[in-house]
Amino acid sequence: MDIEVAAEDGYGAESYRRLFEELMADAGMSQRIESASLLMRPEVPLFVFSVRLRSEPSAKALGDVAAVRSEGGAVRIAISEERYAPAILSRLWERYGRAAVSQQTRFDTSVEGADEGEVAAIPVESGEDSVGDAVGAIWRAMPEGIKNRRALISGRAVTVIATEEIFEPWMIEEGERMHGQGGA
Amino acid sequence: MFEVMMYDGGVYRSDELFELIEDAGGAVLQKTRSSQMLSVTMSVPAGDRGAIEALCKEIGGEVRRVPLAGTEVAVVGPTLGRHHMPHPICDIAEALRRRGAITVVMGLARGRGKKTAQMSLEERTVVEEYDAAVFMLGNFKACVEAKADMFRGVGVPSVLVSGPEPDGIGGAFDAVVSGVGRKASRMRSTEEREKLDEICDAVERVLEAKRASIGEDPLFAHPAEVKQVLEGYEPIDMCLRPAPLVMHLDGLRAKVGCAEHRSAIEGMEVHGRRLGDVCRISPSKIDDSSTVIRIKARSEVEQAGRG
Repeated sequence: MDIEVAAEDGYGAESYRRLFEELMADAGMSQRIESASLLMRPEVPLFVFSVRLRSEPSAKALGDVAAVRSEGGAVRIAISEERYAPAILSRLWERYGRAAVSQQTRFDTSVEGADEGEVAAIPVESGEDSVGDAVGAIWRAMPEGIKNRRALISGRAVTVIATEEIFEPWMIEEGERMHGQGGA
Repeated sequence: MFEVMMYDGGVYRSDELFELIEDAGGAVLQKTRSSQMLSVTMSVPAGDRGAIEALCKEIGGEVRRVPLAGTEVAVVGPTLGRHHMPHPICDIAEALRRRGAITVVMGLARGRGKKTAQMSLEERTVVEEYDAAVFMLGNFKACVEAKADMFRGVGVPSVLVSGPEPDGIGGAFDAVVSGVGRKASRMRSTEEREKLDEICDAVERVLEAKRASIGEDPLFAHPAEVKQVLEGYEPIDMCLRPAPLVMHLDGLRAKVGCAEHRSAIEGMEVHGRRLGDVCRISPSKIDDSSTVIRIKARSEVEQAGRG
């Protein structure tokens, strides 16, 4: 993840670069963010954190994130992206019951008596979840007291503009400019 | 000459240690048991230190120097939110505990933000119950300078810990340690551990200055003497809260309600005088579940006696 920081306070800029990186890793966002741009003006105060995601958030079915095939009366699932594993398992338990679902390894699961097409079509993530995760992670990284916030979401870019009291037009313009650059 | 030290080890044969402390004429300042582990902070005559260390080693524990023993320190962050807690406030509190202090961690109700941050009078009086306070602020110089101002005038020795070195806060704190700030993980690296040592050293220095100031007009009785008297009081002896008696440099905190126990405590005697006459006894500002006892200076007691 490339991080570009714009701040006059040298100490704050460097520590927030590190903090942002650590918090995105904690929130499981590191792999989903291609680049980030952070504008920090604590003297105003104005904070604009803009990220560009690797892919446009969209709904994902089980078949998009795992290889699904029928074999010996069961459907075998080989998960290709581990971060979807918890959601896959809980959807399978929900639909087929725990007795029918067997997890062999972190990546391999099978479901007894299921239909391959039906399993592949199970939704594991909506596009909204992905955007929600990104906005949540940015909120977590921002200073706690900067509570007046506005989120801009379009395409692969997610931007949060934050100040402490009233938004002035130039603040929104600054945020929109960074958002327009796609967080790159 | 008494020396304060801490035994850290198991409970196995710890009764022998307590007997030896008593035989040597020392006192147990703090005893904390967690499962089979035991920490004992003790004050013992310097001449018997060797014998006590030998026994501690024999029963499988270790002895450490605890320069902050007998003090209670508040570590205060702007809020209890995850942006300000737990790192590095808990790391600082832990480092202070390793040096023998009893610590509490506090977050302010409205401490977040730059322009909107404030510390209420109630919070200020709670902080002033402790021997010293460590105030923790963040990473931006402008914010640190703006928020440091709200801690100005707190009536106990204070240490400011922040990211950048602030300007224009002269005299607001007894010591300032910079280079910490907001963190997302524990302070584990060598530089960070050194920074924790630096903070502890600063707290040690400001408490030493307070101790010296108290020494200029000595207390009527040492807090350890009052503690020994209170230990015999059944509600305190039976109290299940950790550390039911916490020593301060100028008194103690007894973790029993003031309203219920005040008259009994006032009636106890130390050096032939009622505690009610030689101490100021009041409920804690946090709530009435503990009682703060401040020992008056010897000169104040004598003057009151003449009057």
